Amino acid sequence: MNDAAGRRQRTPREELAEGTPHGDVYLGELIRSQLRLSLLALGAFGGLVGSLPLLFLLFPSLQDIDALGVPLPVLILAAPLFPLIVVIGLLYQRRADALDEAFRDVVSRE
Amino acid sequence: MIAAVAVVAVAAGAIGLGIWGVRLVRTTSDLYVASRAVTPWWNAAAISGEYLSAASFLGIAGLGMKLGASVLWLPIGFAAGYLALLFFVAAPLRRFGSYTIPDFAEARLSSPRVRLVAAAVVLTIGGFYLVPQLKGAGLTIGSVAGTPYWVGVVAVAALVALTVALGGMRGVTYVQAYQYWVKTFGIALPACLLLVYLGGLPERAALFGQELPRAPAGGLVVQLDSAQEVEFPEAISYSIDGRRFRAPADAERTLPSGRLVLPAGAAVPVADGGSVEHGGEWAEPVERSGASSPVFVYSLLVATFLGTMGLPHILVRFYTNPDGPAARRTTVRVLGLLGLFYLFPAVYAALGRALTPELYVSGETDSVVLELPEAAWPGLGGELLAALTAAGAFAAFTSTSSGLLVSIAGTLSHDVRRGRGAAGEPPLERMRRFRWAAVGGMLVPALIALAARGLDISVLVGWAFALAASTFCPLFLLGIWWRGLTARGAIAGMAAGGLVASSGIVATLVAEPSPTTLGALLAQPAVASVPVAFLTMIGVSLTDPERPAGTEETMLALHGPEGLGLEALRARAETQSSGSQPVIKASISSQPGST
Repeated sequence: MNDAAGRRQRTPREELAEGTPHGDVYLGELIRSQLRLSLLALGAFGGLVGSLPLLFLLFPSLQDIDALGVPLPVLILAAPLFPLIVVIGLLYQRRADALDEAFRDVVSRE
Repeated sequence: MIAAVAVVAVAAGAIGLGIWGVRLVRTTSDLYVASRAVTPWWNAAAISGEYLSAASFLGIAGLGMKLGASVLWLPIGFAAGYLALLFFVAAPLRRFGSYTIPDFAEARLSSPRVRLVAAAVVLTIGGFYLVPQLKGAGLTIGSVAGTPYWVGVVAVAALVALTVALGGMRGVTYVQAYQYWVKTFGIALPACLLLVYLGGLPERAALFGQELPRAPAGGLVVQLDSAQEVEFPEAISYSIDGRRFRAPADAERTLPSGRLVLPAGAAVPVADGGSVEHGGEWAEPVERSGASSPVFVYSLLVATFLGTMGLPHILVRFYTNPDGPAARRTTVRVLGLLGLFYLFPAVYAALGRALTPELYVSGETDSVVLELPEAAWPGLGGELLAALTAAGAFAAFTSTSSGLLVSIAGTLSHDVRRGRGAAGEPPLERMRRFRWAAVGGMLVPALIALAARGLDISVLVGWAFALAASTFCPLFLLGIWWRGLTARGAIAGMAAGGLVASSGIVATLVAEPSPTTLGALLAQPAVASVPVAFLTMIGVSLTDPERPAGTEETMLALHGPEGLGLEALRARAETQSSGSQPVIKASISSQPGST
């Protein structure tokens, strides 16, 4: 692959591999989009779970609600959060893989 | 004794699988990260198996019995820690190909000094995390074989040090996956069967109403091995070794060792460190002050959520995934497996409050998972279930402590040494030093565990998480996602975060923790120490003129999706351009097992 003909247009893939300024822009875009997704997922989880202590503190009457034989806040903490964590994780994983895939498509266009 | 047989059976199963697994793999690098052909489910079970420690198996239930529903935040944080790992760390670090945290620190920041600092932090966190595992060992062996506490600590410390030093069991995916299922069956099956046998949760008033834990109808007998400081919530009469006493309400006394007998219906005295709460208070997940105050709860959530990624034995497991997306898939499965396990410890906490009140007197609520089955279900049924929980506990502390000790010994023999610049050393010499490091690395935690009988397993583990969250979490998050991190910034940030976190811990150990906001903050310092670590790391990096070399290549190695064929292109570019390109790091294309 000796392009002695001179400065042929580089493909995005080559820009990335050689670490040219263009390549860095591509990479920076990917990192930013992945980070945005991670922070969004973090916000979703943090908002849901992080609001619970305040909720329980501000509305002590929740404690009097009987749910399946235990106070409602206890039931909320004991079981349903675990499947919720899995769902958030699964949604994140799909989106993150899709972002990687999209990036591959963009830089593989010759 | 059935329980002893079960423990031996579990250990034999693990060793058998280990031998079978070793015969499957060929090279040493295969042994280290197991065969990389394992599926995400096997991987996920192995990761969960190494992660679920004595703190999860014994500690959550024990602390829950003592402190009540506020402890339910703990398993949520333990599980959600893998969510943080999934969002920020799993895929990039798998692509990067560093096996350990010190490796990552040095490769990312191109500074051997960072490696040394990271190694010191690994040793501290690993030691902190080993102590509660050994405490669990002392309790479990004591409960199974009736031996004193120290026998279990010493026996398991020796057993784990020996297996790690001889290279058995470590890193074998199938063994750890097997341990996960032993633990999950060991906690789930007895919990479900006990609930069926008892017809649901007993004595609602004691659990969630206005009642205190009381001696059952036939009275309560507690064998105290040593003198015990207790507080009496109500005026009761009691006898010790036949001599009769009376205690007024709110009296604090030191009970001498001996046979304590409480009459039927007497409110049980509560050992030092526990608090006397009626059911309504006990069942509150958040209270205005004390160990359930919002500050403490948030701090605990921060510590566990951000600390998991920084535990020394966790990351190495991720290299059994073939690539970044596989690491993500595996982590999602880990979340499911951990969630399944964490449904059950709370059952023991609730049943224990009603059925094993003697643990309040002795202060050893950490053994409720072991003691409950026989107390709740007299006869063969209870004995069989107790055997299951004992086997699960054994799996819990042995798997976690071998994982930890491998990390500690590896750090002692490899990182600390390499920081001093002794790289190309013969493998035999290296193996010999690893073995000595395994023995030495176990010694100090074992000695601390002997002295730490009075500390709750989950409290000790909470501190290890706080330290990890205040040091390695910012190192990973900033190192992976921010180009601007420098070696000096990383060191300063880890030092600042580690210092704030450990001064809170030391203050709590030395002084009596007071139930104020400040006391809660000292007891669980993460909510303060994590921001300090982040801000220091960012601030010092911004003012540091010295940037690590090759940050762009590192970023590409961390985030570049698989399947672009960049290595081939890069090699071509290198042959064309004569050295004007920056040196590409070996880590970009390195695959464990292929070297």
